[in-house]
Amino acid sequence: MESQSYEISSPPRTRRSLKLLRWAAVLFFAVIFTSHAAGFKASLDRDSVIVGESVTLTLQFNDAQLSGTPNLPVIPGVQVVGTSSSQQNSIGLDGKMTTVQSFAFTLVANQPGDITIPALQMNLNGQRASSPPVKLKVLREDPSSPPPSLATNMAFLWLVFPKKELYVGEAVVGELRLYLRQEVGSINNTQIPQLTGDGFILGKYNQGQQFKRNVGNASFTVIPMPFAATAIKTGPLTIGPVNGSVTLLGGRADFFGRYSQSAQATLAVEARTIQSLPLPVENTPPLFTGAVGSYTMTASVGPTNVATGDPITVRVQISGRGALDAITLPQDKTWDGFKAYPPTSSVEVSDQFGFQGTKTFEQILSPENSDVHELPSFSFSYFDPDVKQFRTLTHPATKLTVRPGGAAVAPVIDAKSGNASSDTPPPQQDIVPIKQRLGTLSKTFAPLITRPVFIVAQATPLLAFLAAFIWRKRADSFANNPRLRRQLQVEATIRTGMENIRQLAAQNKSDEFFAELAHLLQEKLGERLDTSASGITEAVIDEKLRPRGVSDLTLTELHELFQACNLARYAPVKSSHELAAIIPRLESALKKLDEVKA
Amino acid sequence: MKTNQREVGRVTPCAPSWDCCVSIYIPGAHGVTRPTLATLRTFITLLFLLALIYQPAFAATEVESAFDTANKLYAENKFTDAAVAYEKLTTKGTISPALYFNLGNAQFKAGQIGHAIAAYRSAETIAPRDPDLSANLQFARNRVQGPTIKSSAWQRWLGTLTANEWTWFCVAGVWITFGLLITKQIKPSFAPALRNWTWLATGSTAILCVCLALAFSQNVGQQFAIVTVADATVRNSPLDQSPSTFTAHDGAELRVLDSKDDWLQVTDDTRRIGWLKRDSATLLPQHNSNSVRD
Repeated sequence: MESQSYEISSPPRTRRSLKLLRWAAVLFFAVIFTSHAAGFKASLDRDSVIVGESVTLTLQFNDAQLSGTPNLPVIPGVQVVGTSSSQQNSIGLDGKMTTVQSFAFTLVANQPGDITIPALQMNLNGQRASSPPVKLKVLREDPSSPPPSLATNMAFLWLVFPKKELYVGEAVVGELRLYLRQEVGSINNTQIPQLTGDGFILGKYNQGQQFKRNVGNASFTVIPMPFAATAIKTGPLTIGPVNGSVTLLGGRADFFGRYSQSAQATLAVEARTIQSLPLPVENTPPLFTGAVGSYTMTASVGPTNVATGDPITVRVQISGRGALDAITLPQDKTWDGFKAYPPTSSVEVSDQFGFQGTKTFEQILSPENSDVHELPSFSFSYFDPDVKQFRTLTHPATKLTVRPGGAAVAPVIDAKSGNASSDTPPPQQDIVPIKQRLGTLSKTFAPLITRPVFIVAQATPLLAFLAAFIWRKRADSFANNPRLRRQLQVEATIRTGMENIRQLAAQNKSDEFFAELAHLLQEKLGERLDTSASGITEAVIDEKLRPRGVSDLTLTELHELFQACNLARYAPVKSSHELAAIIPRLESALKKLDEVKA
Repeated sequence: MKTNQREVGRVTPCAPSWDCCVSIYIPGAHGVTRPTLATLRTFITLLFLLALIYQPAFAATEVESAFDTANKLYAENKFTDAAVAYEKLTTKGTISPALYFNLGNAQFKAGQIGHAIAAYRSAETIAPRDPDLSANLQFARNRVQGPTIKSSAWQRWLGTLTANEWTWFCVAGVWITFGLLITKQIKPSFAPALRNWTWLATGSTAILCVCLALAFSQNVGQQFAIVTVADATVRNSPLDQSPSTFTAHDGAELRVLDSKDDWLQVTDDTRRIGWLKRDSATLLPQHNSNSVRD
């Protein structure tokens, strides 16, 4: 089972949004736009319509900027009823930008017959360009129209096969059409299985351009699903049946495009019998290899002036309509006087079914001697089902000039080998030779990361950082504690002062001795009492030390020291021994002051 | 104090007045004066020191001589003999990329692709950026048929440095980072100027540490078995009777997952796991071989 989804038409709002998006894209890509050789082509969305139906003619301009909508000439049998334009930009694999500007003309056929839209001439980027003529068949009525009785269905399938009889090997394009009444807004859950046919090779469905068509008095939207079919055996062949289903959506659509009603519809197509005819036996060309269709052949031979053994390329192009893949050159063709290499082939198709296009054969021939003067003629035969007879296309013999030459050089057939860049180094044929010098010798040690000593050594920066961190914390702490700082400073002062005072005692310098003594006492008391050292007098002892619970003995010692300093002002002369005897008392007092709470 | 200088080899005080002097008795050196003995002593000491200094040089000369001999064998197309000579040098505890490179070449020429790849890979761990080595390793690998392990792009990128080079980069990053942090502690005034540098160093160090971990895991942490026999059957379990999981050919590189008795549990690029006979492969890196054998 195959699930397919088809959108019948886009709402106007969506179209406007898409258009805005397209123009935004155009502005964006215009920045990096680069111009290429301009060209244009014309195409119809259908090649066959019924009188009164519309068909879209699209003019597609590649890499050309048109300021306005081009004017169509008057075409007998059709009338232009509307135009629209669009632009598409894309960046190719080579990084170049391609701009395609399209103009769609809606044409309505108003009379039956074969209509030819003539070749259109345009001036693009200063160059003259023209499109090939396009043919449109306008029918008075649909030969494959479903019966009016089906018009009562909301949806149905209809199989359109172009022929009731066809030849074995003939390739045709059939169409499975899904008809939807105009009341149907949209569909989903489309289940249409792949067509099967006895004696046919059937391709997958393609999606065709939907169109409107009347069945009976009802208007239907037709969604064509064309498929390729090739008869592979003779006799009556059947195609189908097909049974499927679809969910129909209709009623009012809300803001988000959701319909209010839905219904399940069963789809069914009966099997169709097609007569497959054998190819005629009489007048079969001897070189016929089974090609059925309509073809033309072009061929080129070159070079024609060669030495013996030189390669001559024969390129044969078979273009037309039919099963291109199945075309082969005659296998029993003998090239007397030539060494023939196996031919190569490639197919370029121009339609979605692979039935229209060109198959190119390339064969390398090498003249074996200088007696060869021409390349023999060669032919391609096919059966044309339209005229029901065989046709043979012949390329005449080609004159050659073959000179005696040296050793023959085998031609290179594979084109890929020619793409190798000259910068690419040749593949290495052997290993690089041995080294003659031993180089630096090293011991087979384990990797550094596995050696414990190495790992432990890496702890050094971490330990150094921790030490620096602790040091910084201590420095910060000291900087933020002025009492501690003063305490340390006073301790340093006292250490220095005690040494000084001993020297003064030894030198019997009484005045300086007592001045230093008083200074040390002031510093120590100031630090202990957290006051200025210069403001410390004997009176402080009773005022501030006694309330702090300092022992009487200590207070007495301090009083005596202060009084000694005062007395020295009036009786400054003392002996060295007397001065030295004061020092222990000072030390004792300072030590006891350490016990006073700061 | 008097001394008896006839006692051979005895170290004796020379004279009461020479408190700090000792002399060595040398047989036959009658009447040798003390200054001459001192000169002799100095000379012997110098000889001893020179021997200590130049001992590796003498050893290197010996290795170079053996290396040249092996090169001559190679030049005479005696590849198997050359391979044996090179291999003997690798067992002496001194190695060089050229030694492993030449060993690989000799083994390759002798048709031992697996051994050659093992030697090239050993050389690659010391000199990962040697273009000759890369070319030969790739050339040898191209000869290997069947399942093997192919390095991914990031593994090749990590392999451009040795494990020790990654280690040094990482260590440099760590020391620089801590150096910056220490500077910031000692000189806080530098902190604002060093802020970005510290972050950069920390980030770089973190990345380098990740690279080191990956490189270590790749080069040292993982073990590879390189098949050294023409066809080695990798079995479903470590038993000779066990059904075959796949066959690895000479030179195939397989990742070692486990070991049991004489079997190695290996896997290839397609993650097929099986057991390989230990004697049909050589293990890399070789300094881990013992750990696998345990």
